[in-house]
Amino acid sequence: MSSSTSYDLIVIGSGPAGQKAAIQGAKTGKHVALIEQTREVGGACVYHGTIPSKTLRETALKMVQFLQATDVFDFRMRDDIKISSLMTRLDKVVRAHGEFMKEQINRNGIDRFHGRAQFHSAQEILVQGLDGTPTMLSAPLLVIATGSRPRVPDNIPIDHENILDSDSILSLVYLPKSLTVLGGGVIASEYASIFALLGVQVTMVDTADRPLKFLDPELTDQFCHAFQETGGQYRGEQKINTVAWDGFSKVTTSFENGETLESEKMLVALGRVANIEHLNIQTAGLTPTSRGLISVNDQCQTTVPHIYAVGDVIGPPSLASCSMEQGRRAVCHALSLDSGDAPEHIPMGIFTIPEMSSVGLSEQDAIDKYGGALVGRANFHEIARGQISGMTNGLLKLVADANGEKLLGVHIVGEGATELIHIGQMGLLHNIAIDRFVDNIFNFPTLAEAYRVAALDIAKQRKK
Amino acid sequence: MTLTSTASPQQAEIDALRSRITTQLEQDTLNLPLLPVVATQVLQLSGDPNADVTKLSTLIQQDQALAAQILRIANSPAYASRSPIVSLQQAIAWLGMNMLAGLAFSVSVQSGVFKVKGYEKEVQTLWHQALATGLYGKEIARRKRHNVENAFLCGILHTIGKPLLIHLMLQNNEHSSDQPSWTIMDSIIQEFSIVAGTKLAKAWQLPEPVQEAIGFYPDGAYDLATSPTKGAMITCLADHLATAIVDPTAPDEEAMRALQVVQDLNFYPEDMDAIFELKDTIQQSVSSFVA
Repeated sequence: MSSSTSYDLIVIGSGPAGQKAAIQGAKTGKHVALIEQTREVGGACVYHGTIPSKTLRETALKMVQFLQATDVFDFRMRDDIKISSLMTRLDKVVRAHGEFMKEQINRNGIDRFHGRAQFHSAQEILVQGLDGTPTMLSAPLLVIATGSRPRVPDNIPIDHENILDSDSILSLVYLPKSLTVLGGGVIASEYASIFALLGVQVTMVDTADRPLKFLDPELTDQFCHAFQETGGQYRGEQKINTVAWDGFSKVTTSFENGETLESEKMLVALGRVANIEHLNIQTAGLTPTSRGLISVNDQCQTTVPHIYAVGDVIGPPSLASCSMEQGRRAVCHALSLDSGDAPEHIPMGIFTIPEMSSVGLSEQDAIDKYGGALVGRANFHEIARGQISGMTNGLLKLVADANGEKLLGVHIVGEGATELIHIGQMGLLHNIAIDRFVDNIFNFPTLAEAYRVAALDIAKQRKK
Repeated sequence: MTLTSTASPQQAEIDALRSRITTQLEQDTLNLPLLPVVATQVLQLSGDPNADVTKLSTLIQQDQALAAQILRIANSPAYASRSPIVSLQQAIAWLGMNMLAGLAFSVSVQSGVFKVKGYEKEVQTLWHQALATGLYGKEIARRKRHNVENAFLCGILHTIGKPLLIHLMLQNNEHSSDQPSWTIMDSIIQEFSIVAGTKLAKAWQLPEPVQEAIGFYPDGAYDLATSPTKGAMITCLADHLATAIVDPTAPDEEAMRALQVVQDLNFYPEDMDAIFELKDTIQQSVSSFVA
């Protein structure tokens, strides 16, 4: 093998985190190499995660909107509706997004390498091409952004045909009659609600008593209600004994309490694991944590100062939005650039049906931190736009301090929640008073009015 | 190309056959055999989410030869369960819905559509190759997280044009005492199998991704396929792997690693290692299916 090619910065992985790290480096005038093991850039976010699931969700919602408009259109969904027709749109979206990102990388003069990266030393990366051809790269600064993949539990025989994970679920070509979803987290809840909306009989199974435990219970209550209305069922506090494909037509799940559950297909969404097994990080002086992650400080710097790690490889929050910022900030820190204030009040968006989103403190957190809290609520059915759009199942909840003056948190469930949350986020960032929502005028009729209604709800609870 | 007057009798025979086949394909006068009723129904069931064991069982029972084949396969070493399979219902449960649907389709087409008297061995080799392609396709799809069921169906049907051409060539020569040699027929098959397969797939209204795989599975053509299931690309590699099972002169593993489709599927050396390791299992399964 010939000697290594030198760069100022090597980024491993081209997902949201790696891409932003590479672009930040290139914009600073650095000579950047970006290594990606797949042919396309964008990582799991584009091909197996955020983009496909959201596209599928949007398409499913549009179909349901059509179905709900049968009084206007002579429209009937075919009984043999094939998920592949939904996926065709998905394929187009994914391709377009991938092309856009490739263009962005090329425009910034970043050198792309297609292959698997592994540390040869703390500053050298060996890239093994598809045909096994090795290429050695070196740089004084490295960013690991290799992302994650679905976890495969030892006791569940995922075959990607009948028992699927969150990657292979996107390969379905027809809608199954029934689907068991193992897990109660974000991915499980998102897919469970999409498939339930499409008419699949979905049963979510998890050890927790309710899904998405980290969210405000009022939000998850509304989610569970909507899920049940579409025929979905949540079976909480369940411990699984075995999962088996019967070899013919059904997946059987046996529980410790002796009960069984049968379904045509199963989706296993029990967390994700970091992609570090090919990296040989020990050679660089790094050791994975007990959870298989790479440990970093607040600046995403590993225990080896010139190596940074960003995105899913460092663990939660594992949000594409945070990963992008981590990538940018890591490179800024490494190059001693001003990266601006550290982000506060990062919103969390969950693309279930209905959407849920949250920023700032929960009601309980506010009570714990400030000794009390006032909560204002606005139900979407009270808002004109909610009625007009048929979005009657929605809730916006403002959390204020005990005096009802300072905004501490915003929690929303309902269509548009992930967009609507940003008003609250800006409010939190600028420490605005609750009354600012009361004193100002929002467009009418819009769902933003819910902020005003919830603020009024707090105002009327204040001690006279 | 200019034909000279010194063309050999064999070349003249090829040209005559080519001319007849070309005319039939171009002029839409192709006498396409009808898809057997059982095969049609099996195909419909395989894509029907409401299909159940009872429906398929009833269907298979209508065709004695098919039922016997299914029982034989279920009891073969590749698929044998701990206890002997004694009923069709049990065989169906053991083999699995999707595998069974593919098999039932394949067996019924094989036995019912094409009359190829005198070339049974050659046709059987074609089916061996098609089945191996289906089985390899499943494993490639599984590794790529693409649809496994679709890959199997694309694989077993990708060369459906070949037996059709044999059938047509023999039909054309039914009044002739001298049937064309296999060498001659093979040259026509190589030339027209994609066109013929595409025509047949369309006439039989096979699922769109399968039609696409039949038309675009060869090297360099799969890029034209648009189905998100990537059936054509998967079938391309599966076809190369399957050919190595039936043809000892086929390219070896090292040559296969260098194929463009391996790169396009983003298969690393360890992915190919894993696929090559399946050779014995697939060979055993194919022997069980078509013996």
